Amino acid sequence: MPTMDEALRLLQFGDSVFPVGAFSFSNGLEMAVQHGSVHDRATLQEYVRTVTRLAATGDGVALLAGHRAAAAGDLDRVRRADEAVHLRKINEEMRTMSVRMGRKLAEAATRIVGESLLRKRVGDTGAGVPVTYPVALGVLFAELGVGEEQAFAAHQYGAASMVLGAAIRLMRVDHLDAQSILFAVNEHVADDYQDARTATLDDMQGFAPHLDVLAGAHQHAHVRMFMS
Amino acid sequence: MISLDSVRELAPYQDQPAQLPAGANGKVGVLRLGFARRGDRTILADLYRQSPLLVQRALYWDEEMPDLPCVMVLTTSGGVLQGDRLRMDVDVGPGARAHVVTQSATKIQEMDANYGTQIQSFTLADDAYVEFLPEPVIPFRRSRFVSHTRVRLPRSATMLYAEVLQPGRKYYGDGEIFAYDLFSSELRAERPDGRGLFVEKFVVTPGRFPVARLGVMERFHVFGNVVLLTDPERAARVHERTAADPVWDEETPLATAVSRLPNDAGLIFKVLGRETEPVRAAVRAFCVVAREEATGCTFPPAFSWR
Repeated sequence: MPTMDEALRLLQFGDSVFPVGAFSFSNGLEMAVQHGSVHDRATLQEYVRTVTRLAATGDGVALLAGHRAAAAGDLDRVRRADEAVHLRKINEEMRTMSVRMGRKLAEAATRIVGESLLRKRVGDTGAGVPVTYPVALGVLFAELGVGEEQAFAAHQYGAASMVLGAAIRLMRVDHLDAQSILFAVNEHVADDYQDARTATLDDMQGFAPHLDVLAGAHQHAHVRMFMS
Repeated sequence: MISLDSVRELAPYQDQPAQLPAGANGKVGVLRLGFARRGDRTILADLYRQSPLLVQRALYWDEEMPDLPCVMVLTTSGGVLQGDRLRMDVDVGPGARAHVVTQSATKIQEMDANYGTQIQSFTLADDAYVEFLPEPVIPFRRSRFVSHTRVRLPRSATMLYAEVLQPGRKYYGDGEIFAYDLFSSELRAERPDGRGLFVEKFVVTPGRFPVARLGVMERFHVFGNVVLLTDPERAARVHERTAADPVWDEETPLATAVSRLPNDAGLIFKVLGRETEPVRAAVRAFCVVAREEATGCTFPPAFSWR
């Protein structure tokens, strides 16, 4: 079990209201609701599960790489993980989300925690590789002494809660429905971790043509509440 | 030769076929194509092939681009068999242009042991232009296939790459939809100095994580993926003509959208449909715009038998 200090840090930096701007993204849900693909509790749960599976096999692998690189104090490896994430964000909106949330997390952490590898990484973006959210989260948790399993869990929780937060504002589901879905989807986190744990950055992958089409279409939608 | 045998997703399939062993003589297909500019046209200056891959000669069938060598890649074994190891290297010299297609759909045959792999490499010089527009890929029941493609090109060069992935032999027997074991595909683009432009990798294992679900294939069966790697000015013109009207057509059904790739690499166009023909038509329409903006020439009408 994590110590009380670890648990508190996990709760604070993994919280869905931590100011990295997660509330302004829907991860494609806005378009999926508009097209009617997602229209009730069952379809919402299926959608959220797809999002968390992709988060595990893609960004989740990079989060673990960032965590391990920070534990070794290796800034080069952190940068390589950021680069691997950025190269794989083939949708503009997903790319914007990852880079914007990464920058905000790094800035907030610098303000709250002070000197850290994350701060050094922000200072070195001259190399042309932006800070990305999953790697920044992994680095931060490593520096705060939170273990990689907990960090991975927080990342998966964040991916699900972002979509569910948007769902409450986009469709007819209430807070209790959203929490029930979150609870159900969280049951996959441990298995997803087993898959991500042994993957390298080269193994990062995701097959989601439907999400890609939604993301590509969303940026041209005339009326939208969310940035993705 | 670099091999894909050690990639993670192939770990469960390391058994040997009862027929010829994996990678045996006759199962390693090699193709090396070198295109060079000669005067006002491009020629196929270098060709090496080893069965089951086969190329005969370049033809100049494109009436809109009479200088364009068109090369049809054939396979002598009717598709990808278990234990096949295929490799194709395409080199396009300065100012050269080329059009590479396949003779028919790539049929990844049913498997009961091992897997098939494919390594493709495209190296483009300054101002080179290449179109790689293979026929659809059909992964049969229980097939396992891993493909790695690397494109290396300078900013002034253009590559147009289009793939259509079918769900299986949809109208064979009772229908075969997402019944394959593994379809893994990685496309990596980089500059000549090795700087990465983008990577797209998917590992599709319908038995482990369903494909017919929201966010993945939704209600669709056929997936078209077009990548246009070109300089930012040309990409912006293609984006202007193609991106503003993403399609979500419930009737056909068909869904399409364009997105800009990272690092100013170019554009990616995704298409989803239930049937192959509407997807191919959408892919083709995008390719027409891409060719027009990249070369100033359009595509001739499609052959009526293709």
